Amino acid sequence: MLESQCTWTHSPPPTMSRPLSFLLNNPSSPFPRTFPLRQLFINSTRSLTPAAAPIFRRPSLMAALSTVSVPHPDKDATAAVTPNSSQTQHPLQVAKRLEKFKTTIFTQMSMLAIKHGAINLGQGFPNFDGPDFVKEAAIQAIKDGKNQYARGFGVPDCNAAIAERFKKDTGLVVDPDKEITVTSGCTEAIAATMLGLINPGDEVIVFAPFYDSYEATLSMAGAQVKSITLRPPDFAVPLDEFKSAISKNTRAVLINTPHNPTGKMFTREELDTIASLCIENDVLVFSDEVYDKLAFEADHISMASLPGMYERTVTLNSLGKTFSLTGWKIGWAIAPPHLTWGVRQAHSYLTFATSTPMQSAAAVALRAPDSYYE
Amino acid sequence: MEKKLSRVANTFTPSPIQELSHLAQRCNAINLAEGFPDFPAAPAIKSAAVSAINSDFNQYRHVQGICELLARNAKEMYGLEVDPDTDIAICCGQTEAFAAAMFAIIDPGDEVVLFDPCYETYEGCIRLAGGIPVYVALEPPHWTLDAEKFMSSFTGRTKAVILNSPQNPTGKVFTWNELEIIAEACRSRDCLAVTDEVYEHITYDNVKHVTLSLLPGMQQRTIITSSVSKTFGVTGWRIGWAIANPIVASAIRNIHVKLTDSAPAPFQEAALTALSSGPDYFESLRRDYESKRDYSIQLLTGIGFQIRFKPQGSFFLFAELPESSPLSDVGASLALTDPKTKVAFLTLIIPCLLVLMVQVEYVKHLIEQAGVVAVPGRGFFHFNSVSSESEESLSACHDYQKRYIRFAFCKSSATLEAAAQGLSELVDTKGCLNLPPPCKTDT
Repeated sequence: MLESQCTWTHSPPPTMSRPLSFLLNNPSSPFPRTFPLRQLFINSTRSLTPAAAPIFRRPSLMAALSTVSVPHPDKDATAAVTPNSSQTQHPLQVAKRLEKFKTTIFTQMSMLAIKHGAINLGQGFPNFDGPDFVKEAAIQAIKDGKNQYARGFGVPDCNAAIAERFKKDTGLVVDPDKEITVTSGCTEAIAATMLGLINPGDEVIVFAPFYDSYEATLSMAGAQVKSITLRPPDFAVPLDEFKSAISKNTRAVLINTPHNPTGKMFTREELDTIASLCIENDVLVFSDEVYDKLAFEADHISMASLPGMYERTVTLNSLGKTFSLTGWKIGWAIAPPHLTWGVRQAHSYLTFATSTPMQSAAAVALRAPDSYYE
Repeated sequence: MEKKLSRVANTFTPSPIQELSHLAQRCNAINLAEGFPDFPAAPAIKSAAVSAINSDFNQYRHVQGICELLARNAKEMYGLEVDPDTDIAICCGQTEAFAAAMFAIIDPGDEVVLFDPCYETYEGCIRLAGGIPVYVALEPPHWTLDAEKFMSSFTGRTKAVILNSPQNPTGKVFTWNELEIIAEACRSRDCLAVTDEVYEHITYDNVKHVTLSLLPGMQQRTIITSSVSKTFGVTGWRIGWAIANPIVASAIRNIHVKLTDSAPAPFQEAALTALSSGPDYFESLRRDYESKRDYSIQLLTGIGFQIRFKPQGSFFLFAELPESSPLSDVGASLALTDPKTKVAFLTLIIPCLLVLMVQVEYVKHLIEQAGVVAVPGRGFFHFNSVSSESEESLSACHDYQKRYIRFAFCKSSATLEAAAQGLSELVDTKGCLNLPPPCKTDT
């Protein structure tokens, strides 16, 4: 199949094509004979793939490591960093905020996995692919010439489909043009939310362990982070601790449900308590619900659907996890207009617009019948 | 709830360019505002994207082959030695590469020098990172760089210079001498340079694009940003990159990962095909755009616009209003008699002084009467330009900033001809553009 469809000069050996797809050499190399088999090393991702098996709901090494700084790749033998001799001649001029930014643990683990031929259960992407009907939609969009800048906050049909899906899932009716922003993945939705709504010095409460990009973008926004650790074995929210942590000085609370890396789902009681304290103290909630379709036992509850919460909540989600198309980078933020404004401003300077053909395909995907989600 | 927004977000305003595009769509006007082509991308590149989707390249990915090709092209086209393993970060378009670069190098309070006029987005990124933009006005009508003015814009807090060449909106390609002035300033002040080279392959009249990185002492302190968007006509794919020394490149890569994680996977694959294009592709790209440029210049000068500076690169024409155009007060009062126009006018662009009204009104007339939309030049100029001190020249400064309109000619021949048709209908017996008062039309 590859040979007939590819325009490349070199196809990968068939045995390599699944399931360890990331080990493929790059068939697109213009120099197939002069360069050795190339390995595509996968960039960092969310560290959990709940769809694969229940075992991923146990906390993993990734969880503990995701919240701490990791060694610079220079110390890792597998990294391909070669020192530049001119480095010693100029001062290091990178920004101070980068003290918290190193090559992620995901990248390092992936490179080690490749080096030792290990099966990679570290990274949060499936080794099976997305459904055909969605891929066809993207292909059709490319062929139809939908290859130029999309409207900055999203292709209208994509926004509409997101709104329809959100209504089915939560019962909430939102205006697709005023309350939805399409971003390059949920990662960018998180970044845009932090940078658009958080001032340097603002206090933000997060629940540990947490996905690594939260800390990074909070740091970029200059937030003061208060971390509250979820209590094993079932990772319950320590509500008393939360009650004493939150105050009128708190700007926002960040929740992730279903939770990466523990697989925990915030209970109704926990969400109610968090909600009432946020209302009492006039605090925003940023709710990362990217795994909402991958809930197994309990029903997912969207924070925005709780009474009094929509007006102060930014709901973050994406296409990637639900449809096994993590590389398409289609995510979104749903929020009332006054909060959407801030998210959109930051988004417009981070990426300006999101990939156009994939948005057309996202609209098709999101309108998939409920049977797909079972 | 405005207080819930960050301070920075509160200072931002909607993009005038996007807003005008929407107006054009609503009026069914010919869009010469936004900088993207209305003709299809090359079939081979689209096929490569389709193949990638079918071949299941749909998960998070970093395609190292892009770095290899970029390094090869840098060497062959510019003579620049780039290490593909350490010096390159793939991002979601040049926009994200630039944003990540700003977060990588700018601390709150750092000053960043930019040239005026310039693309509207740089300032937003700089401010998002806590930086302070400092503008140095290029001298009209040929947009020349005044070395003294430039050097005097540097202070102890200057961290970086932004250089967009070929330039949007003027079409200027910085000369070797001008690059040397910039390089000297960076070297002597130990500053960084961040370039936006998205139009690197679109130059005319045998003018060659030179990358600032090539100048002595500059490679280690320059961050190059660019993308496939303009070169290959796929602005909606979001594949771009930053090239810098290993430490900065690594920082940019790490920031990019936290901002978006990865660029869209199938388009990274397609970029391999695009970036493997031979010299023929770039030659025909140049030739094609050059003939569009020449056609557009003829069209606009034929109806009274002044184009004293012929674009040497990019696909924009920065044209001066015809001398006969109505002055601000006349234009404004005509506009304000029509309540619909007034609302559209007020919501269209940054709230401003009367200086804005001339261009906005002109552009609105063009949309409504000629069915052609362009961008008022005012959005590319900034008030705090470092320029001559005298009051006289300051007001002369503001005067010229009201007089420009940007036309994009990255459009099919059919579009350009239709634009010519629309505009020619407004030409009076003397051959000058004559805009009657706006009529009370429907939407």
